[in-house]
Amino acid sequence: MSERAAIVAVGQTKYHPNRADASEEELAYEAVKQVLEATGLALSDFDAAVSCSQDFWDGRTISNMNIQHVVGAHLSDEDKVCEDGINAIYAGMARILSGHHELVIVVAHTKESQAEKSLIENAAFDPALLRQLGLDFVSAAAMQARRYMYKYGITPEQCAKVVVKNRGNAKKNPFAQAPLDITVEDVLSSKILSSPIRLLDAKPISDGACAMIITTEDRAKKLTKKPVWILGTSNCYETHYLGDRDLAECEALGKAARKAYSMAGIRNPMKEIDVAEISEEYSYQELMWMEGLGFCGKGEAGKLIDSGVTGMGGKLPVNPSGGVISGNPICVAGMARVAEAVLQLRGEAGDHQVKNARVALAHGITGACAQHHGVMILGR
Amino acid sequence: MPNRVAIVGIGQTYHTSKRPDVNYAEMTREAVMAALADAQLSIKDIEATFMASMETFEAIYLPDHEMAAEAGFFGKPGLKVGTGGTSGASVVAEGFYFVASGLYDVALIIGSEKQDCGDTTAAITAAATPMWGKGATTGAIGEFAKQALSYMKTSGAKEEHAAMVRLKADRNACRNPYAHLKLGLKSVEEVLKSPYLVWPLRLLDFCPQSCGACALIFASEKRAKKISKKPVWLVDIETVHQEVFKAGVFGDPTGKETYAQHVACERLYKRNGITNPRKSIDMAEIYEPSNWEEMNLYEHFHFCGKGEGWKLIEKGVTEIEGEFPVNPSGGVIATNPIGATPTIRVAEAALQIRGDAGEHQVTKDVKTAMASALGGPNWTVLSLLKRSL
Amino acid sequence: MAKKKVKETTEKTPKKEEPEYIRIKFNQPRRYDWSTGKYLGHFYAEAKENKKIMGTRCPKCKEVLLPPTPVCGKCKVATGWDWVEMPQTGTVFQYTYLVFPLWDPHYGERWANPYASAIIKLDNGVFYRHFLEEQDKEKLKEGMRVKAVWKEDYNERGQGPGDILYFKEIGKE
Repeated sequence: MSERAAIVAVGQTKYHPNRADASEEELAYEAVKQVLEATGLALSDFDAAVSCSQDFWDGRTISNMNIQHVVGAHLSDEDKVCEDGINAIYAGMARILSGHHELVIVVAHTKESQAEKSLIENAAFDPALLRQLGLDFVSAAAMQARRYMYKYGITPEQCAKVVVKNRGNAKKNPFAQAPLDITVEDVLSSKILSSPIRLLDAKPISDGACAMIITTEDRAKKLTKKPVWILGTSNCYETHYLGDRDLAECEALGKAARKAYSMAGIRNPMKEIDVAEISEEYSYQELMWMEGLGFCGKGEAGKLIDSGVTGMGGKLPVNPSGGVISGNPICVAGMARVAEAVLQLRGEAGDHQVKNARVALAHGITGACAQHHGVMILGR
Repeated sequence: MPNRVAIVGIGQTYHTSKRPDVNYAEMTREAVMAALADAQLSIKDIEATFMASMETFEAIYLPDHEMAAEAGFFGKPGLKVGTGGTSGASVVAEGFYFVASGLYDVALIIGSEKQDCGDTTAAITAAATPMWGKGATTGAIGEFAKQALSYMKTSGAKEEHAAMVRLKADRNACRNPYAHLKLGLKSVEEVLKSPYLVWPLRLLDFCPQSCGACALIFASEKRAKKISKKPVWLVDIETVHQEVFKAGVFGDPTGKETYAQHVACERLYKRNGITNPRKSIDMAEIYEPSNWEEMNLYEHFHFCGKGEGWKLIEKGVTEIEGEFPVNPSGGVIATNPIGATPTIRVAEAALQIRGDAGEHQVTKDVKTAMASALGGPNWTVLSLLKRSL
Repeated sequence: MAKKKVKETTEKTPKKEEPEYIRIKFNQPRRYDWSTGKYLGHFYAEAKENKKIMGTRCPKCKEVLLPPTPVCGKCKVATGWDWVEMPQTGTVFQYTYLVFPLWDPHYGERWANPYASAIIKLDNGVFYRHFLEEQDKEKLKEGMRVKAVWKEDYNERGQGPGDILYFKEIGKE
């Protein structure tokens, strides 16, 4: 039985606003093919698959029936995790560490272009109280952004800097959907979606898939020269009703991060983490999540982005891939963060490589105002 | 060494067709509180919470998020899974992996469904691939009707045998305070008077749509022995999915294809040194969505030879007082809150091992039990439970 | 073995006054815009343009897969681009006759009932689920020879399998 689990291959599709040319199974298979080719494995080699998709987004009850054949689930173990993809990796890791399985494929897919985002997100809210307010995740995020900016004096300019950094970083990522050469002024003059969130403060609609292979220590060393170890990971839920929490705080993220750091033996994240890929669906979120992750104190993320420390040349580059705001679909987003972290640790991130990345952090979110956070620490 | 996993708390709601008095979160909470009470734990003792539900039935996009406070997710790690009909067993499998791995020592496992919220049949029909399945989907009922027809033909089982299975289920359900349908059926003739829904399935032959939840508390060995005097060991799990059959969804009328049930029980039995299931296992709680399917499953799981499932029911072998009781709880045909149903199978098997099944406790001593789950298309999850390691 | 005395719980509890529960009705169409992709897309195109039923062949097991798919689920290998035209005729392998109306979850309409749906074994051995034209339950039987009846209007086609209205008994045209 393995003491630790390793990721031996990752695959991503180039994220795209509307993959009208591909069905969900074909899109998922594009990512699966990459990990098969990288390792020389066949679908029939896997003991288990963990898939990640949402029935509401796929428009199909039991949405894993869509992709069971492209993950090799026939006469095999498969389960569908209905949270962000980073949690599917966690479930895959549990299979390895339990000794029940040795070689697991994990695949996430969503085609946001095919469904009505606002209506689906509205259905996440409790029918009795919140749904009839017409909330979706943008308007909920707007409330969180407003509260966060008010409580800590974070400015729209500081949020806009996240967008400029990440959309700029995306230029060097071949998988990125929408790299942009923009300025803070461009962000601040883009149209309002839900105040204070503007069009450029929000991630665009995206279609894509991501796949990875997780395995035991022994098998990892045979399958690749550069296994990436999952050093620590955890996740955590917030409460549902938006009024029940101080939206300016993300204690669930704090809990998940502390547990992951503790497993990985990390005491000072700013010092010990070389690169971070975190899920910022909206610009203010990158700032909030950095605080939740302990990169800085509460309310200080504005200063952090101002300092340039999280830029490509800085001490702790955040989202060298361009992040979620450059275009990642739900379910895939957090898994893509892990995939990018893996590429960084393997030295395979090409033009957006962070030098000497030895320890990386990846993060994924699910739900309104990120009611669920997942954190993963990876290392060479 | 992986941790051994035990069930130390069991709770379920009183399953019924409509629960207008509670919302989905409150209903789920009932099962959670019952499981915590059974384990004499508080929610603070739970390290992670896992849930299963088919969210299209309630039209709630992220049900685990909505009930974060009520069901015990708030402030804790966890996640929700969904695999259709087997969701409630997939969540048992997740709990098994997470506790066996050492990642958590005490975990809460929840299966829950409130089917009075939506149109169950429409949601099941939406399981067909949208770009292909509009043609001729008949819902689950149609598929089980076809399977019943095949079983009649190949095994020589008669409608009387299906009626006997229905009678057993009802007799057992009447002894189970949590069961949904308690009809007080008295005779084979009474069952055979029930009108056909989709020939040869009668109204009485098919499972109901229920509202209900079931919660289990899993613990690793070192914690289990401290928490419970009667931990029930979840010794092994086998999940087998499969491609849709060419000519069926839950059954293969061509007789040429492989069944997930066969693969699952062969793997499970082999790993656990079981060569004669009727000897090594004392009873089973199986997922039988129709009475015809129950007889078929006896054969699939090697409780009897091929074509002989109907003989077991004829001889009373699978009654509560019988030599190999199956579904003393009344089974799925009496109670079916889809997301919870597989979890209930595991819960009921565990209750039997503990000797805590009250009026529906089987007569023989149960040291080893098996629980099965069934989903579309014929996906299967098997759980093996034991009183001692 | 002595039979244990059991407590039957079928006694109906007396009906108490049911309070009025406040319920929330939620009736909202949710629109989807699915892509058929390369494989199903080819099926759809051939159905619309040429009234043909197309399947893909798996290079390993050599079976023809319907619906067409990029991966043969059983062999777990990519199917490539090996297309096979299906015959338009077949035999009813199994049928079901539905009496109660189902909601079409994709269009929100009630399907007209009763109707017969069947698994048809096309003449090349491939199974295909579709509707049958015959509405009279007594006339349905396994082994019936049937033929696909297409929507003749080109502009009405483009629904993939829906381009075939039903399978009609041969000899009844």
